[in-house]
Amino acid sequence: MATAVFWALFLAFVGAFAAQVARRVQLIAAAPRTFSIDHLAFRLNRFVVDVLLQRRTIRERPVAGAMHALVFWGFVAFGGYTATEFLRGLGIVDLTHTAWFERYRVALTPFAVAVLVGIVYLLIRRVFVRPPGLGATVSLESVVIGLFIATLMVTYLLAFRFDEASTAGRVNWWSHMLVILAFMALIPASKHFHLVVSPITVFLKSPELGDLPNLDFEKEQVGLETVKDLGSKMVLDAFTCVECGRCQVNCPAWGAGKELNPKTIVLQTQEALLAGERERKLAEVYSDTVLWQCTTCGACENQCPVGIEHLPILIGSRRGLVSNGDAPSYLGSMYNNLERRSNIWGLGYDQRAKFVQSAALDTFDAAKHDVLVWLGCAGSFDADFQKSLRSLFEILRARGIRFGVLAKEKCNGDPAKRTGNEYMFQELANANVEDLKAAAPAKILTSCPHCVKTIGSDYRKFGYEVEVVHSSVFVEELTRGSAKASAERVTFHDPCYLARYGGKVDEPRALLTRFGADIAEPVRNRDNPYCCGAGGGLLFADKEEEPGSRISDVRFRQLQATGAGTVVTACPFCSIMLKGAQASAGSAGEATQFVDLMTFVKDRL
Amino acid sequence: MIVVVAEQQAGKVNRASWETIAAAQQLGPSTSLGAGPSTSLGAGDVVVLVPGGSVASAAAELAGAQVKEVVTVEHAALDPYTPDGFTAALQDAIAQLSPDLVLLPHTYQTRDFAPKLAARLDRAIVTDVTAIKSAGGGLRFVRPMFQGKLTADVVPQGPAPHFATFQIGAFRADQAARGSSPARVRALTVSVDPGAIRQKPDAPFQQAKQAVDLSQAERIVSVGRGIKEQANIRVAEELARAIGAEIAASRPICDAGWLPMERQVGSSGQTVAPKLYLALGISGAIQHLVGMKGSSTIVAINKDPDAPIFEVADYGVVGDLFEIVPAMIEAVKG
Repeated sequence: MATAVFWALFLAFVGAFAAQVARRVQLIAAAPRTFSIDHLAFRLNRFVVDVLLQRRTIRERPVAGAMHALVFWGFVAFGGYTATEFLRGLGIVDLTHTAWFERYRVALTPFAVAVLVGIVYLLIRRVFVRPPGLGATVSLESVVIGLFIATLMVTYLLAFRFDEASTAGRVNWWSHMLVILAFMALIPASKHFHLVVSPITVFLKSPELGDLPNLDFEKEQVGLETVKDLGSKMVLDAFTCVECGRCQVNCPAWGAGKELNPKTIVLQTQEALLAGERERKLAEVYSDTVLWQCTTCGACENQCPVGIEHLPILIGSRRGLVSNGDAPSYLGSMYNNLERRSNIWGLGYDQRAKFVQSAALDTFDAAKHDVLVWLGCAGSFDADFQKSLRSLFEILRARGIRFGVLAKEKCNGDPAKRTGNEYMFQELANANVEDLKAAAPAKILTSCPHCVKTIGSDYRKFGYEVEVVHSSVFVEELTRGSAKASAERVTFHDPCYLARYGGKVDEPRALLTRFGADIAEPVRNRDNPYCCGAGGGLLFADKEEEPGSRISDVRFRQLQATGAGTVVTACPFCSIMLKGAQASAGSAGEATQFVDLMTFVKDRL
Repeated sequence: MIVVVAEQQAGKVNRASWETIAAAQQLGPSTSLGAGPSTSLGAGDVVVLVPGGSVASAAAELAGAQVKEVVTVEHAALDPYTPDGFTAALQDAIAQLSPDLVLLPHTYQTRDFAPKLAARLDRAIVTDVTAIKSAGGGLRFVRPMFQGKLTADVVPQGPAPHFATFQIGAFRADQAARGSSPARVRALTVSVDPGAIRQKPDAPFQQAKQAVDLSQAERIVSVGRGIKEQANIRVAEELARAIGAEIAASRPICDAGWLPMERQVGSSGQTVAPKLYLALGISGAIQHLVGMKGSSTIVAINKDPDAPIFEVADYGVVGDLFEIVPAMIEAVKG
C-alpha cells in the first residue's frame, strides 16, 4: 500500500518536473544552435574550478559563497543517499540495511550539519540582511526552498533518533521524501533550476569573454532582431540565471544609476521565451535605450557564477538595431568618421603623418625591426595620448628596441564591433589584416588595450594570428632589474580591456612598484575594475541621453577616495574619460594628478 | 544663352539663386560658348527660369537683376516640389529654350532633381562647382574632390546644354548686377503629367530647431575650465559682444551648468566651423578638438604651454586670460 502511494506521488511530482523541463528543452532545441565544446581542456578545468570548487561563487562574496559551497557539496554528498532511499520507497531494492550504507549514512552527518549552517546563514542573509543584488522584495519561493533544504537535513538527522518502524520514524521518513518530491516540482520554474543546468551552462560558456561570432553576410545574418533569433546558449542562459545579482552590482551602468541591469536582461529573455513571444522585437523586450547603455566592460559576464554570457545578447541586439538603421545619433557621426576617414575622430591622416614625423618613427620593416608599434586612433591623433607614446618610444630607444610603425593604419574596428556595426567592423578588420599580413611583424606593441583585444584576439577570426602586447607588459619585461627606492602614493585604474579581457593585472603593478610607487588600490581593482565609461561607443555619448550620473564621474570619485593624489592610467580612453570627469568635478577634482603609466616609468628610468 | 534655374519658396527667392545669377553674369559677356544651338538670343545672354506652382512675386523680384529676361514656368503639378514634376517641367522648358548652359545653385532641392534632369536629357553635369576658369576657348569648372582634399578642373563633354551647380557661397549674391529697369517677364507653358509624378510629399515641417545654432556662427568665443568660476564667464561674454561673436564652451562648463548644454562644442556637443574660434582656457581634449577643428582661424589662450589646444591653434598665447581678455576688449572697443 505505502509503496503504491509512494509510486503515485513519485510519478505525479516527477511528471510535473519532467513536463516543465521538457518545455525548456524544447525552447533550447528550437533556437539556432550556438553550442560549442572547443578548447575542451580549458572547459574541463573551468568546470572543476568554477563548479566543483565553486571559485566564482566564493571569489566575490567569500562568506555567502562559502556557505553556498557547503550546501552544494552537501547536495553532491547526499546524492547516493537520496537515490538509495528512493529505490527503497519505490520497492525496487532496499539497500538501507547494508553495512556500506550504514557507514555512508554516518559519514554524511558532518555534511548535513554543514548544509544546515550554510542554508540558515543564507536564509538570514536573504530575509534580514537583504543585499541589493537580490532585488527589492524577498523572494517567497527562495524562502520556501531554503526551509525545504533545512527540513531535509533535520529529518535526516532525526532519523538517527527514531526507530524507523515507529510512527515518528515513518512520519520523519515520509516528510523527508515528500519534501524532495515537492522540491523537484518547484525547481524548473524557479531560479533553483540552476541546480540542474548551471554545470552544463558553465561548461558551454565560451572560453573567451564577450565572444561574438562574426556575422556571415553571405548568409544574410543581421544580428539579433527578435526573440526567435536568440541562440541556444542564450536560451540556456536565460533558464540558468540564479538571480544572485553579481552581474547587477558589478555593472558600471547600474552603479551610476542608469536603467541597464544585466540581470533584468536575462530575466526578460526568460519571460519572453516562456510566453512564446518568438516574433517580439528584442529592442522591445529590453528597451532600446537600455541596450545602448552597456560599455561592454564585461563585468556581468565575468562575475556570473553560472556561466551566463550577457555580452552576446547585448551586442547581438545592437547588431539587429544597427542593421535596421536604429543607432543613436552620436554613433551615426562616429560611423561617418570611420567610413570617411577610417578613424573615430574623423580627422585627416596628415595629422598622424605629422606625429610620425615629429616622433622620428620609421616605417616598419620586418628585417630591421623587433616590433611593430600600433598607434591606434588615440595614438595617431590625440595630442595628450601622444605624450604617453613619446615616453614609450624613449623607453624603447633607451633599451635598444628597434621598432617601426605602419605607413597607414585604420581604426581596428573596436567601436564598430562593440556597438553592433558588424559590417563596418569587418571592413576595417579585413583592410588592417591585409596591411598587417603584408608588413608581417612577429610582434605588435600597442598602448591601447582595445587594440590589444581586437587585433590580438578578434582578428583571429579573420585568419590573422600574431602576438599583440600592451606596453605595460612589454616594458615590464624590458625593465626587469631596474629599481627605484621611494614611496610615492599613487592609485592605479585598471582598464577593462587590459585587466578583465586581457588578464594583465600584475604587470602594470610590478612596473609601478619597481619605479617607486606605493599603490593605494581603489575599490573595484585588478580583474574586476569599474569601467571608466568609454567602452561600447559611449565615449561619444551625449549626456542628455543618459539617466543617472556619468560612469566616469563615479569612477573618478572612487579613485579620489583612495586618498592618493596621483591616478595612473594605462589606456587612452580611460584617460580621456577620467580627465573629463575631473574637469567636470570642478574645484573638487583639482588636487588630483593624472599620470600615464609610460610617462611615470620614463620619468623614473 | 545661359539659363539660371532659380529656386523659390513661398514666393521668396533664396540667396543661392542670386549667387548663381552673379556667376552667370560674370560668365556671360566674357565667354564665347562655342558653337551652341542657334537662338534668337546671344551666347552670353542670361535668362532666369523660375519654376513653381505660382511664381509671380518671385519673378518680380528676379526681374530686378540685370538679365535678358525672366521666364516663369508655372504649373499646378509643381507645387509642392517633387523631383518627377520638376524634371518633367524643366525638360520641356529646356527643350523650348535650347540654352548653351544651365546653371543651378547646389541646394538640397537641386541635388535632388538636377542629376536626374541631366540624365534624362543625356547631357553632362558638373556639381558643387566653386569657380569657373575660361581657358583655351572652353570652360573649366572647378570642383572639390575627396572630401575637399583636392580640387579638379572639369570640362564637360558632349552636346549642349551643359549643366553646372554652384556651391553655396562660391559667388557673392551682392555682386549680382541689378538692371536699370526691370527685365522682361515671360511665361512659358510646359506640359507635366501629374499622374506620372510618383512622389507624394507630406506637408513640409521644420525639425525642432536648436535655440542656438553655433554651426552658422562666423565668430565664436569659447571658454573652458581655465575660466575658473561662473562669474568670470562675464569677461568672455563681454569679448564676444565686442567682436560680434557667439559664446560657446567645452564640456565641463556646460556640465557645471555655467552655460546651457546647447552651447557645448565637441564630440558630444555641436560641431562648429567659424571663421574665428577664440579658445579661452580650453586645454583641448580630443573630444573638444574634433568639434572645432574645421574653424578657419583658431586663437588659443592658455596658461599651460603643453596644452594640446596649441597643436591646432593658428595663434597661441601662453598666459593669463584674465590679463589678456580685458586688454583685447579694450583694443577692440578703442
